[in-house]
Amino acid sequence: MSRASPLELRVGATTAVSAQVSARRRALRRNLTGYAFIAPWLFAFLSFTFLPIAASAFLAFTDYNVLSQSLHWVGLDNFDRMLFRDPRFWRAVRATFFYALIAVPLKLAFALALAMLLNNTRRLITSYRAAYYAPSIVGASVAVAVVWREMFGRGGPVNAVLEPLGITAKAWSGDPATAPWMIILLAVWEFGSPMLIFLAGLKQIPHEFYEAAALDGAGAWQKFLRITVPMLTPLIFFNLVLQMIFGFTVFTSAFIISGGSGAPLDSVLLYSLYLYQTGFKDFQMGYAASMAWALLLVVGAFTALIFRSSSYWVHYEADTAR
Amino acid sequence: MRRIALPDWLRLMAVLPLVLSACSAPAAPSPPAAPAQQQATAAPGAAKPAASGEAVQLRFAWWGSQDRHDRTIKAIQLFQQQHPNITITYEFAGFNDYWTKMTTQASGGNLPDLMQQDYAYISQWTANNLIIPLDDYVNSGSINLSDVPKSSIDGGRINGKLIAVNLGNNSQTVALDVAAFEKAGVALPSQNWSWDDFEQIATTLHQKLGIWGVGSGLSDIQMWKSLYLGYGQWAFTPDGKGLGYQDDQKYIDYLKMLQRLQDGGAAPSQQEDIAQYRTSSVESTPIVPGKAAMQYFWSNQLVAAWTAAGADRKFQLTHLPRPKGGQAENYLKPSQFISITSQSKHPQEAAMFVDFITNDVEANKILLGERGVPISTKIQDAIKPMLTPAQAEAQNYLARVEKDNSPLPPPDPAALSKLNDSIFLPQLVDAVLLKQTTAEAAVSQFRKDATALLTSS
Repeated sequence: MSRASPLELRVGATTAVSAQVSARRRALRRNLTGYAFIAPWLFAFLSFTFLPIAASAFLAFTDYNVLSQSLHWVGLDNFDRMLFRDPRFWRAVRATFFYALIAVPLKLAFALALAMLLNNTRRLITSYRAAYYAPSIVGASVAVAVVWREMFGRGGPVNAVLEPLGITAKAWSGDPATAPWMIILLAVWEFGSPMLIFLAGLKQIPHEFYEAAALDGAGAWQKFLRITVPMLTPLIFFNLVLQMIFGFTVFTSAFIISGGSGAPLDSVLLYSLYLYQTGFKDFQMGYAASMAWALLLVVGAFTALIFRSSSYWVHYEADTAR
Repeated sequence: MRRIALPDWLRLMAVLPLVLSACSAPAAPSPPAAPAQQQATAAPGAAKPAASGEAVQLRFAWWGSQDRHDRTIKAIQLFQQQHPNITITYEFAGFNDYWTKMTTQASGGNLPDLMQQDYAYISQWTANNLIIPLDDYVNSGSINLSDVPKSSIDGGRINGKLIAVNLGNNSQTVALDVAAFEKAGVALPSQNWSWDDFEQIATTLHQKLGIWGVGSGLSDIQMWKSLYLGYGQWAFTPDGKGLGYQDDQKYIDYLKMLQRLQDGGAAPSQQEDIAQYRTSSVESTPIVPGKAAMQYFWSNQLVAAWTAAGADRKFQLTHLPRPKGGQAENYLKPSQFISITSQSKHPQEAAMFVDFITNDVEANKILLGERGVPISTKIQDAIKPMLTPAQAEAQNYLARVEKDNSPLPPPDPAALSKLNDSIFLPQLVDAVLLKQTTAEAAVSQFRKDATALLTSS
C-alpha cells in the first residue's frame, strides 16, 4: 500500500474542492479494498444466511408446501392458525417452556457449584477441569443423545442402579412424566461452558474481600451470598442470556430421545422439533417459517426482558467502587 | 499522462474466483453439471429408441436397508452390462430422509429419472404432475406386464392411468415363533382366527412361558385402518376428507383389549413400546431375541427379522386376526413402486429399466424379492429354488393372502402422517394406553379432531 497511487501523482489539481474529492476517493478505494477482503465471507453470509432469512420472512406469509410449484399469499393466516387453530402448537410451547424454565436455572446452578469446587489449587485440578468440560464438547451431538436413550432404556444402566434401591425398572423415555426430565438432565450435564465462564469470574474476585469478611465473622454461606454471587452477577447475566436462547432452540436431544416424534404424549415435543416436523415431514414450509419467526420474537422478548431487569440485579465493578 | 495502475481491490477480485473455485472443487460433485450434460444428449436421445447407442445417463433413487442398497446396485450393474450406452447413477436414503430429499429435488427441478414411490405418496405426486403415466410404454411393449396379474398392477393406477409399477407385494402379518408355541403346548392359530382367539392365545402363551405373548406395535395406525377393513369398511371417506366409518365402539373394544394384554403382562407396556420399539427397526422387535412369541409386522420384514434371530429359529406367518364373522383384515399391498418423473430427459430408457427390474430373471435372482414378492408370476417361479426359508415363507404367505383378503383400499390421504403424529398417537392410543384418559372419551375426541384435520387438508 506504500506505493503512490495514481491520484497522488496527478499534477495541477490543487484546488480545495478537488483535494476534498480526491480524499473521498482515496477513502472509497481504501474501503473497497476492505470489502474485497471480506468478500468471501460477505458472499457466504448473503447467500447462505441473509437470503434464507429473507426468504423465510416472505414464506411465513404464504402456504408454500415445497412440492407444488405454486404458492399463495395468505397474509396472517399462518399466525392465526398457530394461535387459535393448532392445539399441538401449544403443546409444543408448553413442553418448551417446561424444559427451558427448569433446565436453564438448573444448569447454571450446577455450573456455578462445579466452578466453585474446581476453583482451588489442588493437584491435578486442570485435568479435573478438562474432564468436567468434556460433556459440553460432545453434549450436543447425536451420539450422546443415543447413548442417553439407551442408558435410560428398560435394560439400561440407570435401571440397573435403581433396581437394588427398590425403584422398579421402567422405560423412562416412554413415560410422559419422566421423558422431559431425561432431556433436562442431558442439558444440565452439558454444564461445561458456563462452568468455565464462572471459573474465570471466580478467579477475578479479589481475595481480600473474603479475608475481610472472615475477619468480621462471616460464614461460608454468607460469603457466598454477599460476595461471590454479587461479584459474579455480570457473568450470571451473560450465561443466563446465552443459555436461555440455547434452551428455547434445542433440538437434537428431543429428536433422538423421542425418535423424532415428540412422544410420549408430546411431552418432549420441543418447539424446534415441531417446527422441523412441520417443515420437513409435513412439508408445510410456509407455516414452519411463520413458526420460526414467532420463536425469534419470543426469544427476543425474553432477552430484552433479561436485559431490562439487569439494572436491578447485575452489579458491575464501577457500581461497587462508588 | 497518467499511469494506469490496477487498484488493489480489483486485483484481489480477479484472484478471488480462482480461490473460491479451488475451495469448492472437491466438495461439490457438480450437481449443476449433471443436468447440463443430460441436456446435451436430451433431444436426440428422447426421440430415438435406446438401441441408437447414444450415451444416456439416468438417475435412480430409492429408500431402504443396507441389504436393499447392495442388491439394487448389483442389479444396476447388470443392466449397464446389457446396455453399455446407459449409465445409471443412484442415490439412496432411509425412508424419512428420502422424502425430504425428493421433495427438495422436486422443488429444485432436479428429480432423478427413476424414483421409488410409496402407495401413500403417489396420488399427491401425480396431482403435482411430478410423475408421468406409463400406459404408452406398456402399450408399445417397452414395459412388459403380460406375466403380471391385474390385481398386482392396479395399485399403481390413479384415475385410470398407470403411473407406477409395483416392485413387490406385501401384506401385514402376525409372525409366530413355532418353538415357543410348541413349548407352551398351544396349537398354531388358523388363518381365520378372531381377535378373541388372539387375546386368549397371547394370554396363554404369557402364562405358560413367562414371556410376552405378543410383541410391540399393535397400537400402530395401520392396525386401526385394518380393523375397519375386517368389517368391510375403509377408515377414510373415498375423497380422504373424513372418517369413513361410523361405529367407534369397534376401536374402543380394540383399545380395551390392548389395555388388558398390557396390564396382564401379555404384551409390552405402552411406555416400553414407545421407548424401545416404536422407532427402531424390525431387527429389534421382541420376537427376535425370544422375548415374545408373536409379533406384528409386514411380511417382507420377516427376512430381516429371521436373519437377526438366527437360522436355528423357525417362524411362520399368519393372517391378522379378524373380527368374529368378519372378513380378512389383510390386503395385498404394493410394498413400493417405481416411477418415472416428469423431469426425466430420457423416459424411454427409464422405461427400459422399469421393464428390466420387473421381468429380468437374472436381476431378480439378485434382488430376490427383498422389496416384496415379485409381481411377475414367471419371476416368482424362477427365483423359487433360490429362496431362503424366510423368503420362501414370505412368498408362501402372500400366496395364502392372495386367496383370502380384502380388496386393496384407496391410497391413504396425504394428511395421514400428520394425523398420526399430531392426533392418533399423542391424543388417542398413547393417551389411552398410558392411562391419561378413557378409551371412550379419546375415541370420540379423535373423531372430532381427525375430521377437522382431514377436511382442512
